[in-house]
Amino acid sequence: MYNFLTGPMVWITFLVVVVGLTYHVVTYIRGLDWRLDRVGYRPNMQFGLKGAARSIFFWLLPWGSHGWRAKPLFTLLFFSFHIGLLFTPIFLEAHNIMLRDSWGIRLPGISTGLADFLSWVVVIGGIFLILRRIAFPEVRILTSAYDYLLIVIAVSPFLTGLIARYNVGDYNFWLIVHIITGHVWLLSLVFTKLNHAVFFFLSRAQLGMDYGIKRGGMKGSQMSW
Amino acid sequence: MPEGTLCNRQPITTDEQLKLTLSDKGGKQYYAEMEQLEVDTDKLWSAIQNTMKSRLKTWLNVCAKCGLCADSCFLYECNGRDPRQVPSAKIHATLGEIVKRKGKVDNAFMRNCMDIAWSWCTCCNRCGQFCPHGIDMGVMFSYLRGLLFSQGFVPWELKIGSGMHRVYKAQMDVTTEDWVDTCEWMADENCEEWPGLEIPVDKEDADIMYTLNAREAKHYPEDIAEAAILFHVAGENWTVPSEGWEQTSLTLFAGDWEGCKQNVLHVYDAIERLRPKRVVGTECGHAHRATVIEGPYWAGREDGQPPRPFLHYVEWLAEMLRTGRIKIDPAKRIKELVTLQDSCNYVRNQGLKNITREIMSYLVEPGYFVEMAPNKEYNYCCGGGGGFNGIGKYRPQRNIALLKKRQQIMDTGAKLVVAPCHNCWDAIRDLEEEYPMGIRWSFLKPLVIKMMIVPDHLKPQDEEGEE
Amino acid sequence: MKKKILLATTGSPASFGAARVAFEMAKRYDAELLLFHVAGVPKKGFSYQEVSDVRSQEAVSVDEDYMAWVEEELKTTYAKQLEECKNSRILLATGLPHREILRAARSEDVDMIIMGAHSGDSSAVYSKGYPGSTLQRVAKAAKCPVMTVHRESASYMGGFSHIVFATDFSKQSESAFKYALSMAKEFDCEMTLFHALDITSKVLAQSDIEDKLISLRKRLRDVYGPKMGEFKNFEVDVWEGNPYVEIVKIARERMADLIVLAHNTRDLDPEQASMGSTLEQVILRANCPVVSVNRPDKV
Ligand code: HEM
Ligand code: HEM
Ligand code: SF4
Ligand code: SF4
Ligand code: SF4
Repeated sequence: MYNFLTGPMVWITFLVVVVGLTYHVVTYIRGLDWRLDRVGYRPNMQFGLKGAARSIFFWLLPWGSHGWRAKPLFTLLFFSFHIGLLFTPIFLEAHNIMLRDSWGIRLPGISTGLADFLSWVVVIGGIFLILRRIAFPEVRILTSAYDYLLIVIAVSPFLTGLIARYNVGDYNFWLIVHIITGHVWLLSLVFTKLNHAVFFFLSRAQLGMDYGIKRGGMKGSQMSW
Repeated sequence: MPEGTLCNRQPITTDEQLKLTLSDKGGKQYYAEMEQLEVDTDKLWSAIQNTMKSRLKTWLNVCAKCGLCADSCFLYECNGRDPRQVPSAKIHATLGEIVKRKGKVDNAFMRNCMDIAWSWCTCCNRCGQFCPHGIDMGVMFSYLRGLLFSQGFVPWELKIGSGMHRVYKAQMDVTTEDWVDTCEWMADENCEEWPGLEIPVDKEDADIMYTLNAREAKHYPEDIAEAAILFHVAGENWTVPSEGWEQTSLTLFAGDWEGCKQNVLHVYDAIERLRPKRVVGTECGHAHRATVIEGPYWAGREDGQPPRPFLHYVEWLAEMLRTGRIKIDPAKRIKELVTLQDSCNYVRNQGLKNITREIMSYLVEPGYFVEMAPNKEYNYCCGGGGGFNGIGKYRPQRNIALLKKRQQIMDTGAKLVVAPCHNCWDAIRDLEEEYPMGIRWSFLKPLVIKMMIVPDHLKPQDEEGEE
Repeated sequence: MKKKILLATTGSPASFGAARVAFEMAKRYDAELLLFHVAGVPKKGFSYQEVSDVRSQEAVSVDEDYMAWVEEELKTTYAKQLEECKNSRILLATGLPHREILRAARSEDVDMIIMGAHSGDSSAVYSKGYPGSTLQRVAKAAKCPVMTVHRESASYMGGFSHIVFATDFSKQSESAFKYALSMAKEFDCEMTLFHALDITSKVLAQSDIEDKLISLRKRLRDVYGPKMGEFKNFEVDVWEGNPYVEIVKIARERMADLIVLAHNTRDLDPEQASMGSTLEQVILRANCPVVSVNRPDKV
């Protein structure tokens, strides 16, 4: 079991994620339609790319857009949650050791202390995201079970990783659970709304092109995101 | 009854049908028939499959349901922050639901969609600026309106509006003869005060072709005269087309995409026929959006550009003031607090934010111009956009929607609002009627005419009566 | 050719004076009387039907029934006059009052417009934003003389016996003069050629004023004397002061029953319109009908 999950299954999962996300990107771009979207992508590519880059850039910058600045606390929550979500697994020593053992490559690692800290950020961040959905009527009305499920999927490898790491209970059991939730996490990047990890960039780029081409960009007036 | 005589899935294309629908007082019978109107679910679903591609599909699927768009919507704020007014909630309760049910929705559902599409959203596109995923609910509502129109669920006035465009090539029953005669009339009425003033119709190869809003022709031709005076003073070689002069598009508000295409082609045909160097449109927001911003795509122009450079009035005016072809008398500049309404249709949707401010810098004594907050591309809708102003059924909702603009204007302390957009102008007028606060409002043309320096050779040659 | 008189009425007491004069004039000239009424002002942005009723200010939707009802109302209001005046028509329109009055005047090619001072101004907000009052805008743009009757007491009861023609020597005053003279001849009445020296804007020494008054009197005689032709029953006068006050004063003193003046466009700053141009002030204060002439076409 352990061997399968850390051996072939890793291959399978990674393959599915890479192929799946590539598929999303390709079909998205092919599905753009200058007539239906009313954006002249092709003839005005120059303007479009500039608009796309701006649209993504300002939204990746903490408090970089009007939208982020309008909700400063939420922005803090969002960025810490996502930074933890993305950085921790990639630069984690434990993961990298396994990576080196099987594929012979490794990325620079981060200290255990930092990894713990970031994991806690994700877990606590997840809790706040849930509380927020309960507390604010304007978010409550939008929320369905699916949204909670996504938070649970996103957070569970971190929670289980921490449990395993602190040796609470049966290490091997928690490690298996951790690895399973890890696989679920990765596969969800393709099959659930967590695919926003790529769609965020695509959708932002699209609106950026809209602004860069039609809504002012070609008039030399840049949208101030 | 699958389809009514007035309320049905066919757009109005004949004068008889138009008159018939018009004669239905306030749309009573029309809306009664609507309650019986069957939904052609197959057609609805196939329309969605054919037109809902990457962008819209992704927008519906990827929404994080995070609620960040809530505060961006003035209708949410005006309506006591009713959670149902959150942009994402609105679109998922309507379009999202139709897609989820693969088009299998019933009459009551569609009527509810109509209410939401036309009275809970003005398609101002502001929410799109606040969504981290770049989801623009304004665009989606506009798409939803298209679906609703094709199924016959459209407010009475807009059914007629679309019909007017299709039958008269204008949003009002102004025929070509009426229009040409109005031009003559206005030239005649003003030629004493402005010797040599002309409104040249169908002049080929002019520097500028002017297009406008049928309401000007129908109810307020002074606006045409004012445009003529300003072209005259600026020394422009200009013309108006006898056909293809109407720039507005109630079809855009109605979601009648086929009609939109017809409208814009009338204007483009006039451009091809008269070959002007440039085209200038009147002080109207949605007309500019329809003809210049979205129009090229309806007309099938992939580069997204109209056949000739097409300016909004503010762009032309700013150019005249910048180059000194129209000069403002410094003594006559506005010396009271004055604010400016940014029209979503050409500010948020075409970035003309600095142009209008440049104009204000010429017209207003330094220190007297106050910005609304927020402003420029973040300005709120006037409250009457997207057809809201004209729909009787949704008057009460529209009146609530005005409250945001009212607050914004009050906060500036200004008593004069410059509104270079017909629709905004109307909304602000209604604002003063519904909630009197003692403000005045104006287009740019009359202000400039009052303030400009008229070159001596353009003045009437009879000043000897002066003491 | 038969003359046409357009009476722009609100159907309310404010325009009864105008109506009386109009019917009298129609009789006198054997002219056709067009009883014109703007039923409603467009209410919504692109309303096709909903207008705000000019009298009740209520939102109503226009259709044949409504128009028929309005016409019936007008017929009742003016029953007696219409009875006597055989050659009359009722015209209804919807739109902004000044524009519709002008439109009707143009398409019917009328020879005179007669209106109350407030014809059509009642729907305040809807004419707001469009600068100037209905009267002012009609007076400015009409090609024919525009007679305004402000009060019922200002309406004449038969002929005219004394006409005050006030001039500022402008081109428009030429046309006004022609009209005044033709009226004076028609009614065989007295005529005062008058000019008011405006001393409100600058301080002048009394002796300067005296000198000016003398030279202006001469100017009046020189300019208009030769044009009088056969007509002898006139005098010239120049007073100093605030023009509209002086015009009203002399009209009173001479017991004039008609004032004729040009609507000089220089007066018109639409923003200040409510405070009033000379013309408007004269109309509001005078005790008799006031005719403004702006164009040479119909005099
Ligand atoms: C797919 C296979 C995965 C394997 C085989 C794996 C394996 C491991 C192992 C061996 C540890 C070390 C436990 C310890 O310290 O004793 C660990 C920790 C951790 N893993 Fe994974 N992991 C996987 C996927 C993931 C994923 C997808 C995520 C996150 C999205 C994740 C997040 C973490 C975290 C946050 C920790 C604990 C960090 C700390 O506090 O030190 N893992 N994982
Ligand atoms: C490149 C990567 C990513 C970007 C740019 C990104 C961006 C966003 C954005 C814009 C939102 C919506 C705003 C919000 O609700 O906070 C969001 C929400 C969310 N993201 Fe990501 N994301 C990325 C990767 C991920 C990954 C890898 C996961 C986990 C597997 C994840 C989990 C979540 C969750 C659970 C939410 C919902 C938060 C809530 O409930 O409000 N994100 N992300
Ligand atoms: S801000 Fe965007 S992602 Fe968030 S709820 Fe609104 S539409 Fe959905
Ligand atoms: S487009 Fe404007 S009105 Fe419509 S939901 Fe968005 S913010 Fe609200
Ligand atoms: S009327 Fe003006 S402000 Fe309102 S939606 Fe249209 S363009 Fe925007």
